[in-house]
Formats: sequence, structure tokens, C-alpha cells
Amino acid sequence: MIAVIREDNKVVVRPDGDSIVAASLPELRLKMLAIVAEGVEELVIDLTDVHMVDSSGIGLLISAHNSLRKAGGRLAVIHASAEILDLFQTMRMHQHFSVSGN
Amino acid sequence: MRCVVPATLQAVEELVADFRRRTQALLNRVNGFAAELLLREALTNAVAHGSHADPSKQVHCFLRLKRGRLLIAVEDYGCGFDWRAAWSTPAASSDCSGRGMEILRKYATRVRYNDRGNAVTIVKRFVEEKHK
Repeated sequence: MIAVIREDNKVVVRPDGDSIVAASLPELRLKMLAIVAEGVEELVIDLTDVHMVDSSGIGLLISAHNSLRKAGGRLAVIHASAEILDLFQTMRMHQHFSVSGN
Repeated sequence: MRCVVPATLQAVEELVADFRRRTQALLNRVNGFAAELLLREALTNAVAHGSHADPSKQVHCFLRLKRGRLLIAVEDYGCGFDWRAAWSTPAASSDCSGRGMEILRKYATRVRYNDRGNAVTIVKRFVEEKHK
């Protein structure tokens, strides 16, 4: 189950699986879309349990970032592993939203 | 390791899990991540784009890890794609898709497609390989 923690106008989403990849995307996408539609100011994705993000997962994060930015909000990723941090830097994700490691 | 799997994302997950089990004692964490990422991108592309996730279609996969060199060969029965155009046109930074090929370009040592674009061969040479 995807954990959702609400703090004022900030929502933290903590995916329960160890991967944000094509196969796991539908459930997470639905959850994130619903949160974005609420008009939150900040959506934080907590990657504590996540060990793999593929290009589909990166696409979902960019999509959420684009939607939030249009509405004046922002996306942040926290607790990324060293490998995911490296991937995000390689793919220039840090130019779009805040990314921090463990 | 040679296998034929149905063109489903579930089959991708099962194959990747098997690959992870077989290689976890051979690759350190960083190299294991790169290997799995390359395999995922090749398989997901064959399933989602090459086969439109049609479970009646098949995806062929050959994997070999030997002396710090990983070979991934994936083929689907789709009509292929114009990989030459895709290779030379990276996704715009705000695009929500199209980053699979960029990942292959950044993480693989060598990537080759057949002319039709329905078969890819990826080679990854690992600088440092550790045994646990």
C-alpha cells in the first residue's frame, strides 16, 4: 500500500514497492494525479524503500512536476539511494525539481 | 540465459527478478543497478512499444555475464522503429517520455539495433566487479 502523509499544504507519498517502473506505475500514477488535483503546494516523493526507477518512472515524476508547476506547486524527491541520485543527475532531473539522498 | 517471455510487464518483472537473483553475487550494488536498468529498458521497450503489451506476442531475450562484460539481446516481433532518428534526438527536458534511449546511451558501453529496429544488442563492461 502506498503511504500518504499530509502536513498542511504538503503531501508526502511513500511508494511501498522497491521499484518505480513501468509495471508499478498505474497505481502510483492514480494516487499522484489525485493529490495533484487537490491543489497541494508541495508533493514530496519519499524513495526510502525504492531501489530502482526506470525511464517510465522518470516520466511520471516529470509529468507530476509539470502539472504541479502549472498550478503554482512544486515536486521534491527525498531519500533517494546513491544509484538513483546518480541516475537523476545523469538525466538532469535536478534541473526540474529538488532531489536529495539518504 | 536464453528465454522467451510473453509481451507483458509482469513477465518483465519476473525475468528481471530472476536476473537479479542470478547476478547478485557477481555484481556490486552500483553495477547491479546499471545492469538491471539496461535490461528493464530493453525489455520494456520490446513489450510496450514493440508488442503493444499484447500477451499473445513473444519477446526473445539472451543474457550473458562473463568476465565483467554483460550482453543483453532483446528481440520482439513488432514492426520496429526508426532508432536512428530517436538516437540522435534526445527527449526535451520537460517531456514525460522518450528517455529510455537516453538511458541506454548513458549507461551502456555499446548499443546496436538491427535495421528494422525490432532487435537490440547492448553491451555493458563493468570497470569494477566484486564478488561478495
